[in-house]
Amino acid sequence: MAPAAGLALLAATTPASAQQAGAIGTLDRIIRDRKIRVTAEVTSPPFGILGRDGQLDGSEIAVGRQLARDLGVEVEFVQVTSPQRIPSLLAGRADIAISSLSITHDRAKTVMFASPHGALSIVIAGPQRTRIASAADMAGKRIGLTRATLEEATVPGIAPPGTNIVYFDDIGATIQAMVSGQVDAAGMSAFAAKSVAERNARAGIETKFTVRTAFYGAAIKPGDYDLLQFVNTWIFLNKQNGTLARIYEEKTGVPLPELPVI
Amino acid sequence: MTYVFQFGIVWDHWPRLLGGAWLTLQMSGAALAIGLVLSVLLAFGRRDGPRWVRLLIGGYVEVIRNTPFLVQLFILYFSLPGLGLRLDAAEAALIGMALNFAGYGCEIVRSGMDAVPQGQVEAARALGLSPMRCFRLVVIPQAVRIAWPALASQAVLLMLGSSLISAISVEELTAVTNSLQSTTFRAFEFYFVATAMYLAMALALRLLLDALHWLLFVRGRPAERRE
Repeated sequence: MAPAAGLALLAATTPASAQQAGAIGTLDRIIRDRKIRVTAEVTSPPFGILGRDGQLDGSEIAVGRQLARDLGVEVEFVQVTSPQRIPSLLAGRADIAISSLSITHDRAKTVMFASPHGALSIVIAGPQRTRIASAADMAGKRIGLTRATLEEATVPGIAPPGTNIVYFDDIGATIQAMVSGQVDAAGMSAFAAKSVAERNARAGIETKFTVRTAFYGAAIKPGDYDLLQFVNTWIFLNKQNGTLARIYEEKTGVPLPELPVI
Repeated sequence: MTYVFQFGIVWDHWPRLLGGAWLTLQMSGAALAIGLVLSVLLAFGRRDGPRWVRLLIGGYVEVIRNTPFLVQLFILYFSLPGLGLRLDAAEAALIGMALNFAGYGCEIVRSGMDAVPQGQVEAARALGLSPMRCFRLVVIPQAVRIAWPALASQAVLLMLGSSLISAISVEELTAVTNSLQSTTFRAFEFYFVATAMYLAMALALRLLLDALHWLLFVRGRPAERRE
């Protein structure tokens, strides 16, 4: 019964791929429709946030807008939470995922990464009263992590036995848990930790230690080689003209490190 | 590029999914028990209590029924610590579910009580039964029987609504499914299986409640009185 139901659903959900067989490529389709759909997180400072005026803001949002501008099309942002970044792309709800997706082996098995256009480091952060100097100090403490992020993939590996890891569905909830004291510390990007520390001076949030650093890049659905090639070329050009560096430094406050090429 | 279904991956993680489903059942069961007791108490208070109690309970019911369950959970989990009360995720979830159920359950039980003919109460009192015994032996059994279908529906809604407690980090079925699909990228397979599991649990709960109804109110009764 499951295979039959699966086949029926397969038939119902592949009109797009049926078109792709020998038909229009993704890049051409985007140009023809004058619209590119880009994933956007809204609770991930400084990559994707909701500005004071309710507009999308952040470094990855700015990158998405610039890409659309250089492509000569409109950008449509598809709001997602961390666990939905790649599934949205694979399900065809977005053409490209530009949401600080760190390049990892596991993700590379299911999406195609463009050359990185930024770097981040994952840290454990928490209020001053939580005493954590290194991974070993996490034992016996509640550590908050966001599902489907680099911290979720790396922190459990370095956490000693006795660490109580607590998972949330989006970065905003994890931050909220840390600020309200529901967790003793949380894993997040160094930028997010800095942003939270600045906005919640009373909570006294500080970075405890760095877990790892990573480069992040745009993710593209497997098979969309034409779009991948354009994005890689675009990254090359915008590295040369300093646009990527400008956006990065403006939103993160840190100079863009040397970016390797895939 | 066509999608290749890989349900085998779901099977690899089956123990975790079962664990999540078990936690769903446990949380729902405990919340249902607490919620039912609360519903009866609130219904009683709203019908026969002093005016200020009736107003208080009325206000509570309106707040619960007119705000999103998820927001209620967030307040219990994220906002209370700011007022000095830090609840565990499981505690906040249990309290949230029980309070939410009671907001609806109160009204259901109350209408069940209202549906018991006043003549029965008068007759019982005339026969010398104290208010407490009248309530316990005459009103409640009939009220529960009348309110049973609505309460059963609310119980199933409670169990399905328990998926929201994943947002405050309780690792029940929805949370486990979310984690698994985000690490294996098999969203369709995992969500499909989770849906099937919820469906199975809901139907099983229904069956159980229907059987209980039969045991309590139908078995051994004369044919013409069966509802």
